[in-house]
Amino acid sequence: MAGKKGKSGGKSAQNGLSKGEMAQDDRLQAIVLTDSFETRFMPLTSVKPKCLLPLANVPLIEYTLEFLATANAKEVLLVCSSHATQINEYIEQSKWNLPWSPFKVATIMSPEARSVGDAMRDLDNRGVITGDFILISGDVITNVEFDKLYDFHKKMRAKDKDHILTMCLSKASQYHRTRSFEPAAFILDKADDRCLYYQKIPTAFSREKSALEIDPELLENVEEFTIRNDLIDCRIDICSPLVPAIFQENFDYQMLRSDFVKGILSSDLLSKHVYAYITDEHAARVESWQTYDSISQDFIGRWCFPLTLDANIMSDQTYSYESGHVYKEKDVVLAQSCKIGRCTAIGSRTRIGEGTTIENSVIGRNCQIGENIRIQNSYIWDNAVIGNKSIIDHCIVANNAVLGQNVTLDDGCVIGFDVRIDDNMEVPSGTRISGTPVKSMHPQDFGMSDDESSDSEKEDDKIIGSLAVTLVGSQGLGYKYESDLSDMDEEAVDMDKVANDLSNRLEEACLSDDSISSATTRTRKKRTMSANSAYTDREENASDLEEEEEDFQVEGIATVKRAIENNHDLDTALLELNTLRMSMNVTYHEVRDATVIALLRRVHHFIATQTLGCKEAVTKVFGQWGLLFRRQAFDPEEYIDLMDILMNRTSEQGFEKPDLVLFSALNTLYDNDILDEDLIYRWWDAVSQDPAFDEVKRLTAKWVEWLKEADEESTEESSEDEEDTSEEE
Amino acid sequence: MPSSATSSAATSTNNDINVSIEYFIARLKRRQIDDTYAMALETLQLLKRFISAARWNHVTELIEQIRQLADRLEKAQPAAFCCGNVIRRVLAVIRDELEEDLRDTMVTTAATTNTVAEPMISSMFNLLQKPEHQQQQQQQTQEQQQQQQQHKLQRNHKSKTDFRQVAIQGIKDLIDEITNIDDGIQQIAIDLIHDHEILLTPTPESKTVLKFLIKTRERSNRTFTVLVTEGFPNNTSKAHEFAKKLAQHNIETIIIPDSAVFALMSRVGKVIIGTKAVFINGGTIASASGVSLVCECAREFKTPVFAVAGLYKLSPLYPFDVEKLVEFGGSKKVLPHMDPHKRLDIINPITAYVPPENIDIYITNIGGFAPSFIYRIAWDNYKQVDVNVGQAP
Repeated sequence: MAGKKGKSGGKSAQNGLSKGEMAQDDRLQAIVLTDSFETRFMPLTSVKPKCLLPLANVPLIEYTLEFLATANAKEVLLVCSSHATQINEYIEQSKWNLPWSPFKVATIMSPEARSVGDAMRDLDNRGVITGDFILISGDVITNVEFDKLYDFHKKMRAKDKDHILTMCLSKASQYHRTRSFEPAAFILDKADDRCLYYQKIPTAFSREKSALEIDPELLENVEEFTIRNDLIDCRIDICSPLVPAIFQENFDYQMLRSDFVKGILSSDLLSKHVYAYITDEHAARVESWQTYDSISQDFIGRWCFPLTLDANIMSDQTYSYESGHVYKEKDVVLAQSCKIGRCTAIGSRTRIGEGTTIENSVIGRNCQIGENIRIQNSYIWDNAVIGNKSIIDHCIVANNAVLGQNVTLDDGCVIGFDVRIDDNMEVPSGTRISGTPVKSMHPQDFGMSDDESSDSEKEDDKIIGSLAVTLVGSQGLGYKYESDLSDMDEEAVDMDKVANDLSNRLEEACLSDDSISSATTRTRKKRTMSANSAYTDREENASDLEEEEEDFQVEGIATVKRAIENNHDLDTALLELNTLRMSMNVTYHEVRDATVIALLRRVHHFIATQTLGCKEAVTKVFGQWGLLFRRQAFDPEEYIDLMDILMNRTSEQGFEKPDLVLFSALNTLYDNDILDEDLIYRWWDAVSQDPAFDEVKRLTAKWVEWLKEADEESTEESSEDEEDTSEEE
Repeated sequence: MPSSATSSAATSTNNDINVSIEYFIARLKRRQIDDTYAMALETLQLLKRFISAARWNHVTELIEQIRQLADRLEKAQPAAFCCGNVIRRVLAVIRDELEEDLRDTMVTTAATTNTVAEPMISSMFNLLQKPEHQQQQQQQTQEQQQQQQQHKLQRNHKSKTDFRQVAIQGIKDLIDEITNIDDGIQQIAIDLIHDHEILLTPTPESKTVLKFLIKTRERSNRTFTVLVTEGFPNNTSKAHEFAKKLAQHNIETIIIPDSAVFALMSRVGKVIIGTKAVFINGGTIASASGVSLVCECAREFKTPVFAVAGLYKLSPLYPFDVEKLVEFGGSKKVLPHMDPHKRLDIINPITAYVPPENIDIYITNIGGFAPSFIYRIAWDNYKQVDVNVGQAP
């Protein structure tokens, strides 16, 4: 077969250019990772692998393979883990397996792989990599001119023998949505686009403030560098054969970017280099429902030209283009009074009834769309049936789903394969319904979550979906799917929610630019758009400072609380607090304040639940966690400040016996050598006359007096037993 | 009708040719061949191989096979007309030969006949004749029966003509013609450009226009100025390259913004456009989006518009639906990428249709013609039955 192909290639490649290229990159290999190792497309991915889900009526994997065909790849290896047999079957029957396919395609079954790292290690074990290869994820839609990328790679390779990886990054505008998934900051050498550092940054909707920490050593010998967060990582990489080997050596590497790239860049031992190729062309990955939505719209809106729907990349497609970005296949039956709005694609043999309005949507093949229906921003896959008078806005209706009459699907619904919904039902926003019950799986079981849940060995997983009669009606068929991440902490759930929802809550999802620049005090960020920096300055001056303090209090208390509840060790708690303090740029005063509040709340909790008595509770909490203050206060003034805070907060907390609490707390801290007598006296001198806290101070006054007496005594007998002071009482 | 000649030995060559065809179609779909000239030549090469590998009992089968191939290539990239054009011309060559062959046999069998295999509308006289035929449908059916009989006769009668040879010779001639197109055009061009004239061209990517201008400068040693429109957003870089090449040949070249065309048109002596396809009504598809506006301006100022086109760009199709013929390109070139729900829809045509009334003369490799005369040239080179290759004749 190879000989034949060579012949045909030679004969049809009339222009010497492409002929030359073919000879040059003899056997360019490409590795396609068909699995994204995520659960974002549940429940649909429980039935079908993600790369076979249709985008604009074409399975996702086709776009990647099409790109590889234009890239003149000669051998394509698909690494399959979930639903591997389905992918294998698909590929065997596709045009890529025919004799005139531009490359040889093979699937590699790697069912144990749970991350990119596992897949790479598996590849290394198999020893299939022979030279530089393209590493691409199976969900990329792009019109990047690969020749330019490859030329860049070769040029850099020739210049720098430590060069092992070229990443293809696409420039995005400020408010582009595909940017907000897995946002990251790339620090690049301005001269040659060498990537100096990579760091993930928190998403815009996370409460965490972001900061970049760069080892100054990394920036040695660099004249000028840029920090960019406006790049879409489209996961098209050219790797040298060393890459799988490095994954093999560092068996803990999971992710390609946050583990591998970061690891390579910050490691002194490896001293390998990663370069970034920055392009203006369209390149994006379908990572979530939101990106699915926006990429579909991009594709329909001809942003990926020449990769368009009317190029009919599937051999059986017959799309033709009409102005206003309307694509229709042949044998579409449209009623006379139906309205087909802009940016719409309709598959073959679909019937659309009278008075129906369709806009910004993709309709699959053989769909039966009734009368007086409104479909907007939605994706209806093959063979779906939609009853009269239904309203569908911003939803996905998968293959063979049947919607009755007068059904309303609100923003962000995902209707799975073979679901039946009864007449007159209204499905609330963001609901996901699947045709078969989906077994839950806990991401922590696997370390990394996975695209599928049908692992047979996990039979004992709880079934979370039950026939959702309230959603699908009495005649309906469908199970509600709920994300299994509810046991994670709040923030992750929030994030997950935004990431998973199809709904167009765009403002939230937009990655804000100011968060980065406010944190980088050391380096000036060179933005490509001047509008951004103006925006940033204004933000900083106006409201940031006040907000930050409040934020910090909440966050700080939460941090300490978490530490106590989960019984972290002190160092961890301190580290967390410290990070928080630095990222929010607050003083130690706030840190102490937050810690005190948290500790007092804990005490209050013990007393309220009657687990412990007042004194025992204080002794327990402050005895264990009071040590935190050692690293939060450094000079006498700060300790006095701490005691002030303690007093204030104790009176505010609303204990039954505030004086007892304050006394016990101070006493415990004194016992643990956190406070010494002199400080206590100084503080007492300052506050004893203050009548405001009389109630709180009652016991403390006695204690201080006693302390002074004891002190005098001890000075008398100082020669004998110094340490007794603490043990005596 | 499966030909008995197709044996298992032939399958390997068949497969081989299938591979080439599919590979070519895939490349067309991916737009990896965007130059009409290269596309036409590649199509001919492919056709040559296809005909060498094809098996048939009677030449009508060959014609049918070629028509199917043409249909597939046209569907792969509907806006590229040259694939269909060149195949149709080869078909015409075969049909001509078939006609002649038929006439010979008819003479020998002394059959009375009044028409040839298909109606030829090559003159007004024939046009008037046609309705008469339709009125006498009965007679026609009789004629058809007669023809079928003749076909049967023909089939039994071993044809003396080697159609494979004829077709391949036809392809070779066509390749020669296409490769020498520029010479033919230049011969005419030289006489058309005067000294110290100002020319305007809105199609900087046309190699024919480029060679035409350079040759005129070299051979006649005339000095003239060329204005090149910038062609935002699709052609800007091509316009710059074009201007650079002209400047290297000592031609005074000025790049002007698209918006300045109307203002400058009063000073322009001639507008020269390159074409992508010429239709039977004399309209043309030009390969840059501003061309139709430039021609409109030229008409306003009564400036002559010359369209240069190789004969292979002449298509026997009629532009009924102009919207279907114009190609639309990527949106990215016009606006930066924004979120799909907050952005404008962008329509970026990369080709433009120029109606025949806005073109004064076509300069082809076989001479200069008025747009109204194009249909005659088309019917000299194509057969009407092959216009619609997708449908059975």
